[in-house]
Amino acid sequence: MTYLQKLNSLVAQFETLLGALLAFSITILILLNVITRSIGNSLFWVDEAAISAMVWMGFLGASVSLHYRQSVAVTILTEALPSKLARQFGHIVDFCVLVFAIVLLILTWLWFDPLTLASYNFDTKAFSSNTFNFIYSEATTTLGFRKFWLWLIMPLFSCTLTLHALTNLFCPKETSSYQSGDVPLNDQTKD
Amino acid sequence: MVAVSFAFFLFVGVPIALVLALTAMVYIFISGNEVLFLSYPQQLYGGLEKYGLLAIPLFMLVGELMNEGGITQRLIKFASVFVGSVKGGLAYINLIANMFMAAIIGSTNAQIAVMGHIMIPEMAKRGYDRNFATAVTAAGGLMSPIIPPSMLFVIFGVLAQISIGDMFLAGIIPGLMMGASFLVVLAILGLYYEYPSEKKMGLRDSVQSIIAAIPSFSIPVVIIGGIAFGIATPTESAALAAVASIIVGTVFHREFKPQRIPAMLIRLLSNSAMVLFLVATANVFGWIVVYEKIPQTLALHLQSLTNDPFIFMLLLNLLLLFIGMLIDAIAALILIVPILLPIAITSYGIDPFHFGVVICLNLVIGLLTPPVGTALFVASNISGCSPAGIMKPLTPFLIAAIGVLIVISWQPQLVTMLLTQQ
Repeated sequence: MTYLQKLNSLVAQFETLLGALLAFSITILILLNVITRSIGNSLFWVDEAAISAMVWMGFLGASVSLHYRQSVAVTILTEALPSKLARQFGHIVDFCVLVFAIVLLILTWLWFDPLTLASYNFDTKAFSSNTFNFIYSEATTTLGFRKFWLWLIMPLFSCTLTLHALTNLFCPKETSSYQSGDVPLNDQTKD
Repeated sequence: MVAVSFAFFLFVGVPIALVLALTAMVYIFISGNEVLFLSYPQQLYGGLEKYGLLAIPLFMLVGELMNEGGITQRLIKFASVFVGSVKGGLAYINLIANMFMAAIIGSTNAQIAVMGHIMIPEMAKRGYDRNFATAVTAAGGLMSPIIPPSMLFVIFGVLAQISIGDMFLAGIIPGLMMGASFLVVLAILGLYYEYPSEKKMGLRDSVQSIIAAIPSFSIPVVIIGGIAFGIATPTESAALAAVASIIVGTVFHREFKPQRIPAMLIRLLSNSAMVLFLVATANVFGWIVVYEKIPQTLALHLQSLTNDPFIFMLLLNLLLLFIGMLIDAIAALILIVPILLPIAITSYGIDPFHFGVVICLNLVIGLLTPPVGTALFVASNISGCSPAGIMKPLTPFLIAAIGVLIVISWQPQLVTMLLTQQ
């Protein structure tokens, strides 16, 4: 196993762990909302926290799914092809995932614009007024901190996806191919 | 060029979520609207910032917990009390238990996977043709996204910006109509197939089965009751149903094992992220729909064909049955709703709930038709029968479902009846 594959596997494990914890936290937060509301003491920040947890979970899970090639795809054509040609199509798919990941990485870099922010000595007010990029000044509605902390999932997602796509393209190994439907929810549940 | 790149990505086998995201990138590049690139990541993030979407992971969790807690078996036994002794009883049990399950699970594939593992071997053991047993189970799964809760209804509600709770209520009558039509089909098929007879259940066993199933019914009661009486939002009722599933599985059935929770959460992450990422990328794809004025252009063409809402619905049904054969239901919903919903509402005055139920029922039928019938392949995979073998006994059920679809398209009040009474 190459270093790239080892790193890739570690990152995928980290994403899975964090994503599963967030999935658990969503349930707890919504229950907390029901309980606090029923005793007449609603916590106003819970909804936004649950939504943010879901967004993070969605992108972490998407990155892992693309890593394992488990996303929903139309495979009607590739299934009809001879296996050698189908493998070539698989490389094209991996390349398309890589292109998406790299473009997204560039776009999030431009959006966060860290070098310009550094040139203003991390003064977010000066950065916003001079660049008209308000990423660092927008606040969350109820959570009490700046929204860019939540938006950090986008650079994280584009970085991990780039790593997964690079590994899938250049260190091919036996992983499941893209499937033409959502993974049946419970078909692996019972042994 | 945009259409060509869309078709290329789609048929090469790029994941559908990325087909949408990449096509949007190509569109921005070609149209020269580079300023859109600057808000691209934010738009992707914003696609998921919707409260209603929280229902997706939570309803998936309920399905997982219910399966772990032995609830399915109790519901099947409950159904057998009422129809077990009639000729072909097990086939009726299969359909009725599927109706109960549909009130808990919101996805056809998930329901066929759960029910298929139990009912297909059981029916085959009692002498039913294996293809027939698989077809009945697969048809039962069709009710899952129509009888609330429904994953498709949640996504439609979010896309159409209408109440998900009301969308669930709108699905009740069409779902029951589907169930009833399938029972009629089963009775008619009984004239041709030699159904095996079942032993009559004794009074003691019957009472025991009913008592054992009572805790399981708390789950659909929590979900539908919570929404119908305005006690909880669909999202909250899903979280409450998750708690109810744990209590039922632990206290009453003693089958739920907490050590299985981590594996369950990982499956939940994988399954829900696939849907959520699709919704996120649909948000950037929506730019193409808006900037290219696709609904307006299409509306002009459609209005030159007909001004009658029912004829429009029939044309829509034909188009969707075709699309549903090629594309996964959730992906198709995400692609179609932003284009066709504005036309349906503004040009033909169709109620959005009516439109939603028709479109979802239609796409669900596509799940069981080749060449891209994902649920058909799930059923085939579980039973070991070929898709072609299943299709023959399945066809009468699909015809019945299309019949229900036409009736619902014709009579909108069947969908909106429960809403107007509120």
